[in-house]
Amino acid sequence: MRIKSSILVLVSVLLLVSLCPRPARAAPYEGYTYSYWGDAVQSPIAYLPSRAISGLEAGTGAWTAPGDLFVSAEGMLYVLDSGNGRIVVLDKEWNTLRVIEGFRNGEKKDSFNNPEGLFVTDAGRIYVADTENGRLVELDGTGTFVREIGAPKADVIGAGFEYFPRKVIVDKAGRIYVVGRGVYEGLIEFDSDGQFTGFMGTNKVQFDPVDLFWKSVSTKEQREKMVQFIPLEFNNADVDEDGFIYTTTVDKKTFSPIKRLNPSGIDVLRVGGEIPPIGDLSKDRSAFIDIDVTGNGVYRALDATRGRIFTYNEDGKLLYVIGQLGSQLGTFKNPAAVESYENAIYVLDRDLGRITEFTVTRFGSMVNEANTLYSSGKHDEAAKLWREVLKLDANYEMAYVGIGKSLLRQGEYKEAMTFLKLGNDREYYSKALGKYRREYMRDHFSIYMTGMIAMLLGGYVIVRLVKRPRKEGRVQDAVS
Amino acid sequence: MPFLKDIKYSLHVAMHPFDGFWDLKYENKGKLRMALGILLALTLTMIVKRQYVGYVVNYNHPLELNSINELKYIIFPFLLWCLANWSLTTLMDGEGKFAEIVITTGYALLPLILINIPNILLSNVITLREASFYHLLDALATLWFVWLLFIGTMTVHQYTVLKTITTMLLTLAVVGIIIFLGLLFFNLIQQIVSFVYTVYQELSLRG
Repeated sequence: MRIKSSILVLVSVLLLVSLCPRPARAAPYEGYTYSYWGDAVQSPIAYLPSRAISGLEAGTGAWTAPGDLFVSAEGMLYVLDSGNGRIVVLDKEWNTLRVIEGFRNGEKKDSFNNPEGLFVTDAGRIYVADTENGRLVELDGTGTFVREIGAPKADVIGAGFEYFPRKVIVDKAGRIYVVGRGVYEGLIEFDSDGQFTGFMGTNKVQFDPVDLFWKSVSTKEQREKMVQFIPLEFNNADVDEDGFIYTTTVDKKTFSPIKRLNPSGIDVLRVGGEIPPIGDLSKDRSAFIDIDVTGNGVYRALDATRGRIFTYNEDGKLLYVIGQLGSQLGTFKNPAAVESYENAIYVLDRDLGRITEFTVTRFGSMVNEANTLYSSGKHDEAAKLWREVLKLDANYEMAYVGIGKSLLRQGEYKEAMTFLKLGNDREYYSKALGKYRREYMRDHFSIYMTGMIAMLLGGYVIVRLVKRPRKEGRVQDAVS
Repeated sequence: MPFLKDIKYSLHVAMHPFDGFWDLKYENKGKLRMALGILLALTLTMIVKRQYVGYVVNYNHPLELNSINELKYIIFPFLLWCLANWSLTTLMDGEGKFAEIVITTGYALLPLILINIPNILLSNVITLREASFYHLLDALATLWFVWLLFIGTMTVHQYTVLKTITTMLLTLAVVGIIIFLGLLFFNLIQQIVSFVYTVYQELSLRG
């Protein structure tokens, strides 16, 4: 009887539990980050999808395979509707401001042919990489034609060079950098007058040792038919406030798919931790197709493999990951471009012809703010925020390191050691340990010194005591 | 106090290997239980080392530490070495018996304990800049161990220097062969078991 009734209770409880609706998932993706050991650990979600807009909703008609998105300094969204060869400009509230379908080039009407890249300068000039027409077009804010820049001309460029500009960026000094399709020599650089000045930055050539072996034993005819070892081309670029250029490459083998090029084209990206910024640490690696640099050296890279956006700080440490491939709001079918403005991230989906906006959560804004303070060296203010971050996510290693560094400055060496150990920062742990050790020895010098002297004296006395009888014994032996 | 005497003797072997190993073989001073005791102590030391070596030089993932692994890394190689060395030296006119080989190898392990225990303590108070001292001591322990093993093998089997070196290298090769045969054997057993099981399954499903 008792068993029966207890079974009944159990069944009814189970039924009730299964009937209760499960709490709605706040986001269609999981928040996570990577620990020092390379394990994916759960983390709160930093940005949540808030709204989305497609061409129909914007009142311009559907966008066909839009290729690029740009958010200007005023927060206006420039959508490059590649399939229709036009630019759609939206304001902050997502009202359509302007649609640039074509322009007057001298006497005749001109238009774009499948353009893939777009850039808007602070002055409001629009640069379009008019891919199939093989030129760059500069327009002013209202869509009036300013100039066009054709294919680069120089002796270093071979006769068979085909010019298909895919992406364009313009730095503060007006220098123009173009990512060309199939151009593995690097970025094509033009000066502000549109004169070709050279190629900048290249990826290193990578080859398989096995291929190299076969190549070395094969005949010339065979070799000519083999694949050449050429560096991989850049596929996207962005420029930061200081004029450094960030590039991405789809290369699932390298550990530097993201590069930060200085004016002479040398990669100066900082990699602080054990794990370089390569996205997911799984076998099927991430393929970065766009990069967006925000302030304070924070950059976001868009991964096409899983539709995720990885945000790194200036030390190359992963801050948070958002997004995923899927069909819900906040997931993508074929993401093409990422941009951010203030507290929002915008992602353009090429297949759906849609922009999704993500707004920052409490966790995300705390991490952003703490990281800003941290990278500008205000460790004590940052530490307060890092403590708040830890309340939401006890796995967040950067927060431990941040607090540890702050404690180290304040002279709380022992506590700093605890935090730096939790954050797995051996370098700063070692610094804290050194300071703590010195402090400890200074405080306890008298005890240890007394102890040492006592031990030395004691040792000496024992040695004397032990040795003397032996000597006598030996002497006696000798006598007898 | 025979135990204390054993310890004193094992220290004597570590400090004066030529003299020590000679006595070990011809005066029967080496004890099998002492050798096994050293092996056990070394295993414990290594477990402690993995867990408690200073954070600055400790790159072990705490979630992946497993004391059973020390069986794989210490006891198993020890037994393999003794077995391989014995199999080889019986064919190469070695004078050592199996027990002697075990005792010699066991006694040779002592420096690893002697150096590692203070080293663990030291590693907890050093910074990254001084970490090379830790690594130096670590390397010294290994060198000392190899030195003792070399002298031990030479004395026990009454070999010349060159022959000892060859024997030791060959022993490593034999260890490889034993592992290979072992894997082969287990693989075959596995195949047989799965074959028998399949036949059984087939019969039982048809019957």
